[in-house]
This record gives sequence, C-alpha cells and structure tokens, in this order.
Amino acid sequence: MNRDFCRRFVVLVALSILVAGCGQLPLLGGKAVTVSIYYGSEKQAWLEPLVEEYNAQKNKTAEGSTIVVEATPMGSIESANAIIAGEIQPTVWSPASSVYVPVANAGWRGSEHAEDLVVGKPEDLVLSPVVIAMWRPMAEALGWPDEPLGWADIAEMATSEEGWAAYGYPEWGSFKLGHTHPNHSNSGIVSIIAETYAGAGKQRDLTLEDLQDAGVKAFVADVESSIIHYGRSTGFFATKMFERGPSYLSAAVLYENLIVAQESERLAGRSSQLPVVAIYPKEGTFWSNHPYAILNAPWVTAEQKVAAEDFLAFLLDRPQQLAALEYGFRPADPSIPLSAPLDAAHGVDANQPQTVLEVPSAQVIAGIEVLWREVKKPVDLVVAMDVSGSMGGKKIASARSSLIEFINLLDDRDRLQIILFSDELIALTDLSPLGEKREDVLRRVSGIVEGGDTRLYDAVQMAYDELRASGDPQHIRAVVVLSDGKDTASTMSLSGLMTEIGNLSEGGSATKVFTIAFGSGADFNVLQQIAEPTGGKQYEGDPDTIHQVYAEIATFF
Amino acid sequence: MPVTPRLNQTLFVIYLLATVGVFIAALVSPPVRAIAYAPLRDLILPPPEPVVVHVLYSTEKAAWINEAAARFAAARPAIEGRPIQLEMKKMGSREMYLSVLDGTEQPDLMSTASMLQINLLQDLSTSKFGAPVVNPADSEACRPVLRTPLVLVAWKERAAALWGNDPGSELWQQLHDALTQPNGWEAYGHPEWGYVKFSHTNPLKSNSGFQTILLLTYDYFGKTDGLTSADILSDADYQRWFIEFEGTISSFGDSTGTYMEEIVAYGPSLHDMVAVYEATAIEHAESAVGRYGELQIYYPPATHMSDHPFCVLQADWVTPEEAQAARMFVDFLTGREMQELALLQHGFRPVDDGIPLDQPGSPLQRYAANGIRIDLPPEVEVPPGNVLNTLLDFWARNAQR
Repeated sequence: MNRDFCRRFVVLVALSILVAGCGQLPLLGGKAVTVSIYYGSEKQAWLEPLVEEYNAQKNKTAEGSTIVVEATPMGSIESANAIIAGEIQPTVWSPASSVYVPVANAGWRGSEHAEDLVVGKPEDLVLSPVVIAMWRPMAEALGWPDEPLGWADIAEMATSEEGWAAYGYPEWGSFKLGHTHPNHSNSGIVSIIAETYAGAGKQRDLTLEDLQDAGVKAFVADVESSIIHYGRSTGFFATKMFERGPSYLSAAVLYENLIVAQESERLAGRSSQLPVVAIYPKEGTFWSNHPYAILNAPWVTAEQKVAAEDFLAFLLDRPQQLAALEYGFRPADPSIPLSAPLDAAHGVDANQPQTVLEVPSAQVIAGIEVLWREVKKPVDLVVAMDVSGSMGGKKIASARSSLIEFINLLDDRDRLQIILFSDELIALTDLSPLGEKREDVLRRVSGIVEGGDTRLYDAVQMAYDELRASGDPQHIRAVVVLSDGKDTASTMSLSGLMTEIGNLSEGGSATKVFTIAFGSGADFNVLQQIAEPTGGKQYEGDPDTIHQVYAEIATFF
Repeated sequence: MPVTPRLNQTLFVIYLLATVGVFIAALVSPPVRAIAYAPLRDLILPPPEPVVVHVLYSTEKAAWINEAAARFAAARPAIEGRPIQLEMKKMGSREMYLSVLDGTEQPDLMSTASMLQINLLQDLSTSKFGAPVVNPADSEACRPVLRTPLVLVAWKERAAALWGNDPGSELWQQLHDALTQPNGWEAYGHPEWGYVKFSHTNPLKSNSGFQTILLLTYDYFGKTDGLTSADILSDADYQRWFIEFEGTISSFGDSTGTYMEEIVAYGPSLHDMVAVYEATAIEHAESAVGRYGELQIYYPPATHMSDHPFCVLQADWVTPEEAQAARMFVDFLTGREMQELALLQHGFRPVDDGIPLDQPGSPLQRYAANGIRIDLPPEVEVPPGNVLNTLLDFWARNAQR
C-alpha cells in the first residue's frame, strides 16, 4: 500500500507541476472578442490573407480576450444600406471610399439616431485613384499618352455613329463603356458624379441648380448611352473586361489597383489579353481611400472598439502596407515610396492624378442619383417564366411576388415583356415601356397560375427573337429566364438555341441572358450553358432566396 | 550501481537541500527571482508597483517623443525602487486641453504644440474647477522643450509655376489671389492642375491652423502686434477677404502631424500647398520625394513659434511621485542627447541655445535647396485670450465646414 500511495503521490505532484508551469492553457483560455468587418471587395486579395495572419497570432485585449476578426466583402453602398436598415451590425465598416460617408450618415440619422454613424476622420488603409481603364491600342488611337483624355472624350466616342471605325479600327465596333450601378457600388456613384461635374464644366461647388441644366443632363445621357450594362461590384467589371477582351468592353470605370493586378497577370503570362492602361480623367477624379470606420453604433462595445483599433494598427504596420503595394495599391503609409508595380509597365502613372473633384454635399449626391435615373440607359427586358405543373404551391407564389418586386425596381422608361411558358408560350405583355402599363402588368403577374409541360428552349428563343425584332440597339437588352425543371416539350433543340444566342457580333452590346435555376429539379447545366456565352449570369434560387436573386439581377440595369 | 537505502537517503537529502536552496535564493536574490517560477514568486513577494505617468502629446512630435520615451525606459528610471512607466497618447492640441477640461482625459503630463493652448487651459480651468490645472508661469511645472515656426509647404513643381521667386512680404496676398482665381491653375499655365488648393488644420482642434488664421489676420492689417477684437469684428473688408480665402478650402485637417502624412500620401492632386510646422516639413521631405516629388518651404513675412511646453498638471489625480517622475522625463527631454536628436533627426530647433543649428548633419542646412533657412522672420505678438477667442469664434461662424 505504501508503494501504491507513493506512486500516486508522485504522479499527482508531477501533474500539478505541469499544469502550473504551463500557465494559461489555450483550452482553458476562455473569452474571445469578435471584430466583424464589412468591406469593399476591391481590397479582398490584400485583406483576406492578413485577416488569417492576424487571427493566427491570437492577439489579446487588456482583459485577456482573444481577438477574432471576421471580414465579409460587400459593395460599399449596399453595406451602408444594410447597416442603416439594421440587417447587419458590424464593428467596422470599410467602404471603398469616403465619398459615400456623408450620405450614409444622413441615412443613419434619418432612421432615428441622434449621432453620426461614422464620426471623426477614419484612417485610410490603402489608396487608389478612380480611373478609366481602356485597352492600350484604343487609348493610343485617342491620343494617349500625349493627349490628356477624360469624360469629354468618352462622351464624344459614346455618341459617335462610326465608333472605332473613325480611328481606323472598324473591327472594334462601337464604343462600349461599363461602370457599376450607382445605387450599389462606390465606383458607380463616383462615375456619375464625375460625369455630372464634367457636364457642368466644374471641379467644385456643384449645386442643385447645375443638376437642372439641360446641357448637364444631355452630357450624362451621352456618356451613359455607351454603357453595356451596370453591375454590382467594381471587381466584377474588371473580371468581365479582362476575360472577354476589347469586343466586350472598350473601357470601364475601375480603380487603378485593378489595372495593376491585371497587368501583373499578363506580364506573368497568366493572361493573353491586350495590355490595358489607366486614363486619369483630365477633368479631375476621386480617390478610393478605403477608410476603416469603427462604427459609432449601439451594438459596438468598448472592448470591440479597442480590439478593432489593434487590428487597424496591424494593417497600418509597414509589412502589411508593403504588401498592399504588391497588389497595386498606393500605401496609406506615406513613408513607402511609390515604386513597381505602380509604373508604366503595368499601365499606370504614379505621378497622376493631377487634380481631384470636390466631394459634393449629401444633398447634391442624392440629386445626381435622381438625374441619373432620368437619363440612364433603359433596358429592353424579356422575362421568361416557367409556369409548368411542377411550379405549384410555394414556388409559383414566391416567383410571382419576387417578379412583382423586380418590376418595381425597373424604371418607367424600361421596356418589359413577360413570356409564360408551359406547353404554350404566352406573352403576358409586349415589349413596351413600363411607364404606360405598370399597374396593368403587376395585376396580370399576380394572376399567374401553373400547369402543363416545360418548353424552356422555345421560350428563350421567343424572348430572343422578340428583342432582335423590337429591341432598341441603344438600350441594354436582356432576357431573364426562370425555370424549375428540364425542357420537356420544345420544338427548338438546345444546340439550335445555343447557335442563335451565341452569335455575339455586337460584342458587349449583345443581348444578355440571365437564368434562374429555381429549386433542385432545375436543369442547372443547361441554364448555365444558356447564360454564360452571352455575358449574362446563372443563378440558383428557391422560394426563400428568389427575391434576392431578382434584386441582384436588377443591379445590371 | 545497486540502490541501497543509504544511497536513497543521500539522494533525498541532496534533493531536499537543492530545492530549499533555490527557494531561498529566489526570495533573496533579484536575478534569481527574475527567472524563478513566477506565480509562486509573486505570491510571496510582489514586485514593486510602477509609477505610471500618463502623457498627452501633440502629434507633430510623435516620432521624436516616442524615441525619447523608449530611450528613457531603457535606462530603467525609478523612484525609490519603483520603476517609472510612461503611457503615451497623441492628440491634436486643442482637443487635448478640451478633453482635460471635460474630464475625459486625466494626464499627469501634457504637451500641446504651443503656449496658446496652455494659456487658454489655465483660464478655462480656473473658471471651471476653481483652480488652474496648469501654471505656465511656474518654470518648474511648465517648460518649453522644442521650437519650430509655422511655414507654408508646397509641392516644388507647383510652387515654381505659382511663384517664380519667393513672394516675400506679398505671400499671403498673392496666395489669396491664386486661391480665388476663377480659372485656377489655368491662369498660371497649367489648366490640368484644376484649382489652386491650399489648406490648413482646423483652428478649433489644432495649433497650426490657429496660427495660420492669426498670421493671415495680422498680415491683412499690416502689423505684428496690437491685434484687437475690434479689428476682427468691425472691419468689413477684412472679413470679406478672410472669408473669401477660407472659403476656397474644402476640408480642414484635424491635427498637423496626421495631416502632413495625408498630404504626402495623396500628393499634389489633393493639396498644392499647406501651412504646417517647419519640423513637420523636414520630417516628411524624404518621403515626399519617394511619393510625388520635392517639397518647397516658404516662410511667411511674420511667423509664430510653437515651443512645445511640457506641463506637469496640478490636479488631485497627479500624485507627488507621478509629478516627480514627470519632471524627470522632462529633464531627459531637455538634456543634450534628446535636444540634439530633435534637431538632427526630426528638424526641431532645440530650446538649448548651446546647440549650433548649422552643425554637420543639421536638416536646417541639408534642406536649404528646399527653402529651409536658419534665420527666422519676426514673430507676431500673441494677443490676449479674449482676442484669440474672438478670432476663433469668427472663424467658427463663417469658415468652418
């Protein structure tokens, strides 16, 4: 018994020494404080690895809680609206630029808050000027780099009948521009502000009176007439432009860093596109400065604030700022020189921009958004909706209600046709402006019922034919197809359909097809095949998510 | 070797003696204590409580003072065995004294950019608390530590297009004209540069902005002393000129140091020219070249010196030990080593007159080609508190954005 006791005693002593000596065992460590960040997606490539690196360090607050950073990329304006609506409650908001902050503050106060959402001046993380990205041969045709170029040149190209033929390049077709939707993305709102300034011939003191001027409106309308479609995020436009080449887009409003990233890919042999260059608009531009705003909101605790400041200090530290340079950003740390890849080899000029435009007041920005709605490029849209027997119950109900919401996102000048397909193809309404018939269309949509087979290919063909016959080439032309099952009864075959819609002689201005695979029985492959080549997109939806799907499709218009 | 009971016993005694010996050594000898098993040590003999000195300082001296704090700490300063710990926080000058007034900050030692704010704090804290928290007249409690004049800093390429030669006494008037040019830079042959963009910090938050509007005002009246509230409030031409000038500025920085960083980071597209301290310009001269180009410094015809007073506060949250520790730190800052560091590494003029400004390595000589010079223009007189308040108030009502 003695020996047993001795053995146990020794084991006990040894164990207690081990435990005491280890200090804080991570398993028993306990508390964590989460810093949630919603940020503009252009800095995703730089930020995501840094979030992982920081989290792996297991930094602690003074109270001993481990700091955990959760970062979600989201369009700048979209995230602002979601915060104001109470849909998301992040600790930190980091939009692409400060341009939208006064508007966000105005919206926040408007929803019963006594103080601003963003107070003081948040620190900049990285900098990148807003530029017009253009294929180098096209920019050279316009006189780059010797001639200063800007919005005035874009407006001229946009309204030119001959397009690129006037410069000896008929194969490039018409001038095609892209920028994001101003209601969703920073570069979109910045584009229309810049266009408005250019139209008014000003660089500061933009007033509501300026917005009433017919010349200003005409200028913005001219530029917008060259748009092939809008979209949700700047990164998305960059990807499209660089994947599809000069026939899809001549130019897009992007951030300088996206051009640097593309040119780095090209120089490394990973992209076989033509070179692209940054045009710094001669009328002046804006900076994207990626402010790190620790929100002045009731859900942010003092401990979260301290933790968020710690992560900010990490991001502003030299190694992280040097990393930003590699991704084509201009570091916020001024002691880091602007060197490669911010150079001519990558299509950019670190001595630019030469001047900036003054950020207008929240009121004037709101006025510019209204002006844009009036002059933006309308869409000629055909919605083809599956009403076969399998669409019963929740499916048809949610498809109906979300279509109604979608219609309400369209403007009066947009032209909408709705085709219902089962074993028949029925046009619920023809391709004509919504302004004249909105109530009528909404009423008809509420009355849609299901029943019968699925003539998917025939419906898409009909939609496409309709746009070819009656669509205005000066409008964005698109088809939205919603289907829950495989084609069972079309006379047209899939390959026949593909031949029809795959003809992209008009490049980026061609009709785009967006498909919604509704529910698990939908034919994902076929719907993807139909959407992809046209430059449209395929979505998956179900009765719970269909509203969001339609909302996203609306960002293209 | 066979394990006999005797061997067992011997081993046990040796082990016991060793254990007890280490235990006693840990109690008695500090070096052993430092490496001995921590929790046990702390239970038996807790380490001496540090003397924590909370220091608030204005941003433009951040680089120098953080280096100074590190060197101070490296010498392991202590008061009666208690280590001195500095907790440093940076803040704009006016924000600093306002936060002491409203109680959000309780520093032991504070250093605004100039005596302007210390004087204001003395007045205002006497009204609020019944007794002043700072005493600028007491040279033991409040000591100037660095000196630097207010200057204009421009991107060289831009300034050269604006001013072929140094504008000298015409500086403010010519600047006013350039800023209010309806065609901006087009009038100077460079339409691509847009408007001539000048800026300074918010006078309500930061010392350099306050100095700028003071110098502007004095210059308008063609004098360097005797500024009165009546000058500001009764002269309609002055008011129009001042409001025109300030109206061209689209946003004001919060604090000089952080503001200059922005200027260098963004480049001339955002600001052609700004008003900051000579030392701030020197600090960023190299970075500027790496970003966008050379800087050019212009001295206004009359200037105001910021003398960076370090004041130990008189308040119930400052213990005698903390006050003593604070004074030790200030002694260190005014010592030869830190004063030379301030000049050679950071471009501040030392308060120690024995340090030659033209010694080898002095930035006041190194940046001569950028307009830096050793001799200074005359200083304006600091008006009494009520006139300062009139000017600030006028700015707040008419120019603030």
